[in-house]
Amino acid sequence: MKKVLASIALIAGLALIASPLFAHHGDAAYSSTPLIMKGCKVTEFNWMNPHSLIKFDYKNDKGELQHWTMEIGSPPSMTLLGWNRNTLHYGDVITAYVYQSKTGAPVGRTNKVILADGTVLADRDDSTPSRYGDEKK
Amino acid sequence: MRQALAGAVIALCAAVVVSSQTKSPWVYYPLDTINGDGGPAPKRDLSGTWAGPGSTDAIPRGANAERPSLTPLGQQVMSQRKPIGRYGPAGTNDPSARYCDPLGFPLNFIYQNRAMSVATMPDRVVFLLQFGGFWREVWTDGRALPAKVGGDDRDSLDPTYMGYSVGHWEDDYNFVIDTTGLDERTWLLRDGTPHSVMAHVQERWTRVDHNTMKVSMTIDDPKMFTKPFSLGTYFFRWVPNQKINEWLCVPSEILKYQEEQGTPAGSFPDEPPQRLGGGRRGR
Repeated sequence: MKKVLASIALIAGLALIASPLFAHHGDAAYSSTPLIMKGCKVTEFNWMNPHSLIKFDYKNDKGELQHWTMEIGSPPSMTLLGWNRNTLHYGDVITAYVYQSKTGAPVGRTNKVILADGTVLADRDDSTPSRYGDEKK
Repeated sequence: MRQALAGAVIALCAAVVVSSQTKSPWVYYPLDTINGDGGPAPKRDLSGTWAGPGSTDAIPRGANAERPSLTPLGQQVMSQRKPIGRYGPAGTNDPSARYCDPLGFPLNFIYQNRAMSVATMPDRVVFLLQFGGFWREVWTDGRALPAKVGGDDRDSLDPTYMGYSVGHWEDDYNFVIDTTGLDERTWLLRDGTPHSVMAHVQERWTRVDHNTMKVSMTIDDPKMFTKPFSLGTYFFRWVPNQKINEWLCVPSEILKYQEEQGTPAGSFPDEPPQRLGGGRRGR
């Protein structure tokens, strides 16, 4: 029994060490439910390290103009999902799915972007199994 | 018949032109992974350009680092570390995450080592790392490791980010490297695990076949750990067109990121960890 417990503790310990190896940072700062904002106008797309930034203007239900910034993965990670430096341009109209910061500031982690022609650009591909177990738990 | 043959030749030429247009020798294609073992491993040779962990799903999974047993000093240093995995960009004090400081050895070989080249010179083997654009020399001319690094004596050598390394071929397919003199400002692992300048890291690089290479690492550092432990095993695969791309940590970019995204997003070290985005899950 002791051996089983030791094995479980070892695996849990290894998982704790393993999880930060590839992701630049965790996403504990963000809400786990995305906001959906339609009719956003891209004002800047910074293809850079450690994370690229998408900036856009959004007019909320009250007609107030908000300036948002949301991050995606690093260029090497996003390249594997088909993104590149020219994926977004100034003036593009998008629907933004954003996990907003728990501070309430208009910054967030991208869930996905839908372009005007319906193209969906995700910040994550769930088609491959996680090497760290079910991360949604 | 003659027309059919001419048509086939034209179609073949067109296919060659199209394929040469779609694949450039100047571009790194991380999804263009090599198939098979490529034949037997060449003897005493790691040379070439390699894709590493995290570059694609095609890289075999190795083993992660073991959890170290820290000495009281190790625990004290560790208690001051705020890793980005828990504190986020806004709250971390990881110098590489905040300022693009070099990861140094061995972390530069463990974390984000998605691609690298290895060059063999008459008296050394040189590792050319994609992440950060760093290089590391491993001397093979028979010299001994330096005895005094990081001390207060006038003849003591300075610690360095990549340390002092000597290597030798244990047999035709296993290259063993010993390293010491590592700068204490670098973190051994991303969770903030420290090391001292006296740390001794040993790597065993194995050329498994032409297209596959792996490295296993161990560290011994009695100042910080009560016993030696494994830093893990990592696999590499031959890059088909032998081209990798530039991937730097640029201080002006990381400052922009911190100011416009990381800091306003806040630090929540006591919130449960989660991963919402950032690429493919399987890596």
